[in-house]
Amino acid sequence: MPGLYPDNSEIFARKAEGRRQLAALSFAEKLAMLDRLRERVQPIVRAREERKKDIAARVAKDEAIR
Amino acid sequence: MTLRNTIEVVTRLAEKRVITNYAIAGAVAALNYIEPMLTDDLDILISLEGFEKHASGLLLLGPIEKALAQMGYTERTDVGYRIEGWPVQFLPVASPLDEEGLLEAVEVNVAEPGHPPLQARVLRAEHIVATALNVGRPKDIVRIQAFLEQNAVDLRQLKTVLDRHNLGEAWHALCLKTGVINPFEKS
Repeated sequence: MPGLYPDNSEIFARKAEGRRQLAALSFAEKLAMLDRLRERVQPIVRAREERKKDIAARVAKDEAIR
Repeated sequence: MTLRNTIEVVTRLAEKRVITNYAIAGAVAALNYIEPMLTDDLDILISLEGFEKHASGLLLLGPIEKALAQMGYTERTDVGYRIEGWPVQFLPVASPLDEEGLLEAVEVNVAEPGHPPLQARVLRAEHIVATALNVGRPKDIVRIQAFLEQNAVDLRQLKTVLDRHNLGEAWHALCLKTGVINPFEKS
């Protein structure tokens, strides 16, 4: 039914504009941004690596039991 | 330890002629044209000259390893070498598309404002898109869509590259799969 849901088009337009502004930065600025991004996700990456190790250890243990 | 420092080491390898020709490829190359997206490593496309080919067809990157060791970079990662904290993968050209991309790569200043210029070679947008199409993983498709949405690739030049490397059908299939309006078929 028309008018039942809000119009999100402005939100998406603002997001697209934000992406265009980021795209317009210099290569050097984007490289620095990537360094910061990478640093920010490091805890998540480390946790993922730990989980992988745990899973591998569990699999090895299960295989040894079998 | 920054990505800029990592790229500087790659430029030093080129200055020393350890790598004859190179270009930044993959997600970091895409950075030059579209919004930043997270990536785990730096891909460097390199020419084959100067590298010994094993009987199996495998290219031996010994000269790079040796030069990096002399510069103090001895750590390996699951994808390649760790340079200034970033995993770096050296990818020898593996197709005429790679070869063309390498030859036509552009020089970009990677120095931060106020620092002396540091020129590095980066793949052109049309070669990044064509390579992403050729590889075709989900993240490559996302990358192609970003190039199209942000008008970051010259469509006329892209079409020329796709035609030259027989990627027209793959492009058409991608548009069908993703629901993207084929920009080459717009009236």
